[in-house]
Amino acid sequence: MEKMLKRLFIILAVLCIPVGFFIEHEHAIFFWHKIPSIEAIFGILGTFLLILAIGILTSFAQKKEDFYD
Amino acid sequence: MIKAVPPALIFILGAMLIPLLKGKLKQVYILVVPAVAFLDILYLSPGTSWVYNFLGYDLIFCKVDRLSLVVGYIFVIIGFLAILYCLHIKHDGQYIAAFLYVGSSLGVVFAGDYFSLFVFWEIMAVASVFLIWFQKDKKSLNAGFRYILMHIFGGCCLLAGIIIYTVSKGSINVALLEPSPAYWLILIGFGLNTAFIPIHTWLPDAYPEGTITGSVFLSVFTTKTGVYVLARCFPGVELVAYMGGIMAVYGVTFALLQNDARRLLAYHIISQVGYMVAGVGMGTAQGINGGIAHVFNNILYKALLFMCMGSVMYMTGRRKLSEMGGLARFMPVTCIACIIAALSISGAPGFNGFVSKGMVIASAVEAHMPILELMLILASVGTFLSFVKLCYFCFFAKNYEIESKEAPFNMQLAMGLTAFSCVFIGLYPKILFDILPYNVVGYHPFTPSHIFGVIQLFMLAGVAFILAKAMVVPHKATILDFDYFYRMGGRGLLWVCSVPMSNFRTKSQVRLSRAVYIIARLARNPISILEIPTAYIYLRITKGLRYVGGFSSGETYDENLYRRPIGVGVLLAIILLFAFALIYFIF
Repeated sequence: MEKMLKRLFIILAVLCIPVGFFIEHEHAIFFWHKIPSIEAIFGILGTFLLILAIGILTSFAQKKEDFYD
Repeated sequence: MIKAVPPALIFILGAMLIPLLKGKLKQVYILVVPAVAFLDILYLSPGTSWVYNFLGYDLIFCKVDRLSLVVGYIFVIIGFLAILYCLHIKHDGQYIAAFLYVGSSLGVVFAGDYFSLFVFWEIMAVASVFLIWFQKDKKSLNAGFRYILMHIFGGCCLLAGIIIYTVSKGSINVALLEPSPAYWLILIGFGLNTAFIPIHTWLPDAYPEGTITGSVFLSVFTTKTGVYVLARCFPGVELVAYMGGIMAVYGVTFALLQNDARRLLAYHIISQVGYMVAGVGMGTAQGINGGIAHVFNNILYKALLFMCMGSVMYMTGRRKLSEMGGLARFMPVTCIACIIAALSISGAPGFNGFVSKGMVIASAVEAHMPILELMLILASVGTFLSFVKLCYFCFFAKNYEIESKEAPFNMQLAMGLTAFSCVFIGLYPKILFDILPYNVVGYHPFTPSHIFGVIQLFMLAGVAFILAKAMVVPHKATILDFDYFYRMGGRGLLWVCSVPMSNFRTKSQVRLSRAVYIIARLARNPISILEIPTAYIYLRITKGLRYVGGFSSGETYDENLYRRPIGVGVLLAIILLFAFALIYFIF
């Protein structure tokens, strides 16, 4: 059941991308506002950027739970 | 006609009566006080009132305009909901601290001069620390001390700034500031309460250690009064706007790494306050509207999140995500309220966060700040991810060891009403737009590109989350923040005081005692001066002289040996102030 839901979610997310080609940004000011489905790209890129930041942070700032005790 | 009073007065005087009441009467009373305060705010007329002359300056306790009114409304509304949430507790101290905290926050909001603002600012710090200490364990005691130390530092900066400002300008009225030493000191003072990076560490340190009900109050007032005073004194400062962007990203990054549910929420306060600070820092009408709208909305959903996690803690006794899971079956009301709050904070269409977050991001575009826009979008992605994490690991992850019941009725009612407010404003934002500081012109939240853009952002971020879930699984660890430097600095300072400085003091005392010993001996018998070298050599051999006066230079510092009652310190302070006043009046 959980796997089914995951697959359904992924399919829906992928289907979202082409729909973005039919919707224009109302106040396109910066160049990325004119790229279709830019929010989808932001979603993926943002997640990977944050995961990268977490990876870097944990490599030197992660200590045992009772570190300050 | 009865004249409206400063709303702060209602809460502060209201707190005095709490210990005198018992049972149901007390419960009714503590709910009536915020209701009366709300009616009072409705009757406040724009302009300044309750002005008193003090040492040649005008103290203004009631400066009413659209900015102070909108913040005043939400402070009183959430005050009522938070009190409803904690109606089951029997501890008067918590109610009194909460009332003083809400009252002093309202005092800051309606203060028209820096002196009264500062006084309310300090009452706020002192009242709030008791909401941490009332948890009554070692962790909360220590966290409370760190919290108050940081706030005392911020308060000192603020006071120094106010004094310099008053001396140079000859006025104490709260107004826009221009770059000067006073400007920077006041900015540090305000920035500390607003959790500017890197002086934010008190927030994720202390808020998770507060009482279950106290953390709901804590999540609302300190940081939001900070945003309010920034909007009043520092609108349109680019540095402040970018600080907002940094806070937004920094907060979510650290939130994603947390295992303690309330610490995760605490880091999200920093992130969400970042949006508000960014809006205020842009300084445009839409930016300030967006920032203040976000204050209003954030107060609702952030308090709701703390209520939900408080309910989970109250019913299960667990606070770490790695120990939770599967609670949706046992606590459906809390689960639904938490999902509504999570969707609101993430900015999903139909929830209040969507309206105000969109306004702040749109104003970054309008103000031509591309980097800031990208930072705020990145923070949106992080917010969505961390609340997927929170809801999943708290309510849906498999955990067959846990069993629980739903929270008490008053907690459920408070959560239900707050969740309803989040949805209501999300669907009907006009009610919020009508009370914002500036008229909302040219901003329409429900455009196809905004709605669909947010859906796309979340769907694809969700896919990336599924693929990289292992990276954000909660695990037992401490993630060092800037407080590492403060703690190590504090330990270093303690070492300097207790080892080298203490040794120096002991050695000086030993030498002085020796001198006194020799002089006393000479005074008794001057001829014995000739015997001193012999006696000295003898005593050095037997080490007797090292203990003259009862002190040894080799003793380690014992803090209890020099500890005096706090009254001695207070007495010294009073004597000093009296002497200062005497000198001031005589000369």
